[in-house]
Amino acid sequence: MVEIEIDENACVGCGSCVDDCPNDVYEMDEAKNKTKVVNADDCMACLSCHEICPAEAMEHKNIHVAKRLYIDRKVNDVLNKII
Amino acid sequence: MAYEIKREGKEVFGDFKPELIPDECGGDIDDYEEALHVLMKFVGSMSSALEQVSGRGANAIVYQAGKRMGHEAGKMVEKTDDLEKAMQELSEILGAEFYFDMWKPAGQEGYTIEKGDETVVKLIFRDCVVRQTLRRTGLPQKGPLCYLLYGYTVGAVEEVMDIRGKLDIDHVGPNACLKTLTIKWSGK
Ligand code: SF4
Ligand code: SF4
Repeated sequence: MVEIEIDENACVGCGSCVDDCPNDVYEMDEAKNKTKVVNADDCMACLSCHEICPAEAMEHKNIHVAKRLYIDRKVNDVLNKII
Repeated sequence: MAYEIKREGKEVFGDFKPELIPDECGGDIDDYEEALHVLMKFVGSMSSALEQVSGRGANAIVYQAGKRMGHEAGKMVEKTDDLEKAMQELSEILGAEFYFDMWKPAGQEGYTIEKGDETVVKLIFRDCVVRQTLRRTGLPQKGPLCYLLYGYTVGAVEEVMDIRGKLDIDHVGPNACLKTLTIKWSGK
């Protein structure tokens, strides 16, 4: 089961995650002007909310992390020399 | 006479006839990874050039190419009209490079929705070599390269289930992408 944690000290209340998430996982807490997780069960761990959040305020736990070979620094160093 | 460039590591020398597959090709896993990255870079450049030249038509061209490949790949597995079995076979065809599952919102009862003579199922692609390629080369998702995978998936499903299929993108993200697969039974 996916667990989502929001760092309320970091969240600037822009609402981008609410607009971006296709599965309505977030809602704005109007009183606090922060986002809140209301539907973690429908999170499919696409992490597009991570990409859009200007404050890097969220953390997703217990998810399938996609393979990211392109991030390998050693490989990229070699590539940068060639291309 | 060849001028031999000095490199670290040992090259493999041996006898070779065209019909033989060598026991050892040389190189270690890191070499293959580097080769994959170079290939990704090339494919990424090709995709963006194709888009520059043909605009949105690029998606259609690449989709057709993928579909043809999918039909060919689909011929290698057993035909079935059982969706679950077809998805199992599709995962074998797509391999570890395209690791996907069926997906549904928590409140929905089953994975499939019947709409007249159509069955709709959502697929979540968790690992995807196309996504890696695009992100590696700084290209946006949903472009021509994605259509190569859509075509490939649709072609394979059409072949395995002997139906007409369609795949739509619901949402793309850096870690997973959600797609809707529509199966048209009347297309049989
Ligand atoms: S990972 Fe995707 S589905 Fe989950 S909360 Fe973020 S945008 Fe929504
Ligand atoms: S995108 Fe980030 S900063 Fe904006 S509301 Fe969501 S968690 Fe807060």
